[in-house]
Amino acid sequence: MKNKYIFGGVIIVVFLGLMMYLFTQSNIEYVDDFNKVMSSEKIVKATGSWVKEKNYHIDNQNKTFSFIMTDEKGNQMKVIFEGTIPNNFESATSVVVTGKYQNGYFHAKDILTKCPSKYEEKTANSSL
Amino acid sequence: MVGSILLTLALAFSIISMIMYFLNYRGYKNTLNYGRIAYHGMAVLVIAASVFLWYAILTHQYQYNYIYSYSNNSLRDLGIFQLASSFWGGQEGSFMLWLLLTSIVGIILQSYASKRGDLEPRVMAVFTLATSFLLVMVSPWFKNPFEYIWITPVFVKVEHLNSQFFNLPFIQQFFFTDQSTNQGFVQINSELVSKLSAAGVSVNQFIIDGKGLNPQLLNFWMQIHPPILFSGFSMATVPFAFAIAALMKNDYSNWVRQAFPWMLAGMGVLGLGIMLGGYWAYEMLGWGGYWAWDPVENSSLIPWLVGVAGIHTLLVQKRSQVHGGIGKYAKTNLMLCVLTYVLVLYSTFLTRSGVLGDASVHSFVDPGMIVYLFLILFIGTFILLGFGMIAFRWKTLNENIKDEESLLSRELALFTAMIVLIASAIIVLVGTSAPIFGKSVDTFFYNEMHLPLAIIIMFLNGISLLIKWQKSDLNELIKKSTYAAVGSILFTILLVVVGGVQEIMIIILSLTTAFSLFVNLDIVIKIVKGNLKMLGAYVAHIGIALFILGVIGSAVYSEQVNIDLVKGKPVTAFGYEMTFTEYYPIENNTKYAFNVNVKRGNSEYKVTPKMYLSEFNNSLVREPAILTLLTKDIYLSPLGYDEGEQNQNQDSHNHIKLEKGSSTEFEGTKVTFVRFNMAPETMQLMSEGKDFQMGAVLEIEKNGKKTETELLRKQTDGKVEFTFFESKEMNLKIELENLAAGVIDIAFSNLDGSESQGNSVQKENNEILSVTASIKPFVSLVWAGVAIMVIGFFIAMTRRLKESRVIS
Repeated sequence: MKNKYIFGGVIIVVFLGLMMYLFTQSNIEYVDDFNKVMSSEKIVKATGSWVKEKNYHIDNQNKTFSFIMTDEKGNQMKVIFEGTIPNNFESATSVVVTGKYQNGYFHAKDILTKCPSKYEEKTANSSL
Repeated sequence: MVGSILLTLALAFSIISMIMYFLNYRGYKNTLNYGRIAYHGMAVLVIAASVFLWYAILTHQYQYNYIYSYSNNSLRDLGIFQLASSFWGGQEGSFMLWLLLTSIVGIILQSYASKRGDLEPRVMAVFTLATSFLLVMVSPWFKNPFEYIWITPVFVKVEHLNSQFFNLPFIQQFFFTDQSTNQGFVQINSELVSKLSAAGVSVNQFIIDGKGLNPQLLNFWMQIHPPILFSGFSMATVPFAFAIAALMKNDYSNWVRQAFPWMLAGMGVLGLGIMLGGYWAYEMLGWGGYWAWDPVENSSLIPWLVGVAGIHTLLVQKRSQVHGGIGKYAKTNLMLCVLTYVLVLYSTFLTRSGVLGDASVHSFVDPGMIVYLFLILFIGTFILLGFGMIAFRWKTLNENIKDEESLLSRELALFTAMIVLIASAIIVLVGTSAPIFGKSVDTFFYNEMHLPLAIIIMFLNGISLLIKWQKSDLNELIKKSTYAAVGSILFTILLVVVGGVQEIMIIILSLTTAFSLFVNLDIVIKIVKGNLKMLGAYVAHIGIALFILGVIGSAVYSEQVNIDLVKGKPVTAFGYEMTFTEYYPIENNTKYAFNVNVKRGNSEYKVTPKMYLSEFNNSLVREPAILTLLTKDIYLSPLGYDEGEQNQNQDSHNHIKLEKGSSTEFEGTKVTFVRFNMAPETMQLMSEGKDFQMGAVLEIEKNGKKTETELLRKQTDGKVEFTFFESKEMNLKIELENLAAGVIDIAFSNLDGSESQGNSVQKENNEILSVTASIKPFVSLVWAGVAIMVIGFFIAMTRRLKESRVIS
């Protein structure tokens, strides 16, 4: 066998194997049904939107930020994020939180806010 | 209209050019000139369309949907370049920018190719296929920046319209109000436009302001990052064209030499573009990092990794051609050159088609099914063309394979380097593409995978330069690497002992990185005396080694802490004394700057994080401040600012609820809520909605002295007022805040504003700036490393450019 195939082959096989393993370890699924989110024991990315009527709460002492999130079917859950309120949170059209549901809360370690800024002016359309 | 006509004509010229060049390749001698004329015609038209777009932006022509959506009048106040960068603020414009830069690259390429044998018709036929696709993309049927605003009806805020036309009788029927926000809109559609023009009003007179740009994009780095990144994308077209040109002729003797300088320059520019994007994120976004493995960042990194992998094997092929034949790794190189461009297209697909909708903040809006399908057609065509041609020539490509490489040969070392870089590209590709299948990976996936890869890359980075071509003697190799090995071991020991580095993987990575650094430095020092133009590879390798050291320092040893800075009171973090001194409005009162003094020993610095409410998206934008010191950055990201005024939600300990009959203490003063005082007729007055008042009687006791006072809730014409109690003697103020059945809310404060101590009931009047402070050791090496690497690419390019003129 040629040296280049041995070298190349071994490296590729080792890394593909390692990648597959880590991929399954770090694989996070998107879930848009909060019933599933609440029953899941894995870390998930829950997609939904912030319930504006119920406001949000910033706890300066514990440095947490919490709010109520709803999915499309209207299932609601409380989200607690250990960190500060993200920029653009107030104007976000939808929110993606990464974390796990435990003890009655969704503990988010990451929040992604989707803003209408780069998008078409959909707000006007939807309210008519 | 002008813009669309220019672009449509350009598309026609591009297709004509492609056909003429192709016919010339097929043997029609006289079509070469037509191809050239058509190409230059196309380039001139594209440049004219771009100039026109800039002109329309600078003159605020909001009848174009694109300009209305991504520009506004106030951008002009920030400077002409801020306004001009609206050009690439959105999807249509970034395609336009890509097209513009590709057209300019094509002019240089045409001149380059015409001086190198019969290369021009083949290269330009492939290149114009790419420009044709880009031109279709910006054509009036797809993502045209010159689309009029009324083509797809849009709701425009009344603030953006000229109110003097609101009295036109027909406006009312286009007027809408958003129920939840009371925001008025006018729907701009073709019906309104025809009525307006009948009334003698142009759309441009009617719409007088645009939506503007996200304020976070209004930054110097965001003005230069997209053009540089897209230059890199454009230049990646060239090696693809050379590879296909070689396959068309089935002659592989010259193409490597000819493509080499383009690959080096393209990857240098692309690398710089990626780094500038990272720097922008670091400086603007405030989360403290420069790389988040975000899909948009990743998707430009993937073609770069593949292109850089290709550079290493291209070198081997070029080198081995000396011995005749097509050289080593010919198939690999063709595939890598094809892949680099295909991955640029794939990157565009990922970020522009909306498939990553949930995964990235950057991703542009879903552009619609037709654009989605067109993007697939675009990629599909280039994949089929590239890999189809390679498959077609597979037999010839396999003919000239000669002797295998020895274990200790530079050929094999470079091949391994290519494999490792490709492994890195595959990892990023898999992670980034996962959201298409509804999956997603955590960032630790990328980090964990890249740690061992980086170790191998750094080791090869050093060792491959010590190994000779073809065959090397092991003893000689050991002898040559002694200095670097000893140096890097000493460096690593120093790092462990002084720097406190403990993780084993990081120690190994530091070791191999230092090894690479010392090997390359050693060679550079030797070469400086001799031949400067040979320096490229070593400089680039030193750059990447410094970059890795910077990443180790800033990513692994960064520390962060949230602190509250009370005005005037120093807080110590990481050995630095930080004091919030003042805040003041800047930029016409649109932003607030917060001065923080950072002090250590005798050195004192001032940094100013900023915060402002952006009108663009109605949210608070926080801009970090960075203090760059020799060995580290101190990074202050503002979280919030509390003016210390009464705020019922936040400082609840200023306020207290008191039930009837109970008492409370405030700084030695005992306050008892004795009874309500309500006149008999109050109930009736209340129910009739007339003016009335109710009182709460309090007994105040201090130092044995008792006083009684009554605080009132007065209602006059539906307006509610509360009274308060003040005593200079007691230095006390009690304010009534609410009065309800059985309970009152009161607030205590000191009259002289002095601070109350040791009591749970107090009023703070402190201005507090909350910040996340972090320390980033050696983060400057990240930027310096990439910059040095890019310089290396360009030194190498000038050397390879000379070699490319040789025709065998």
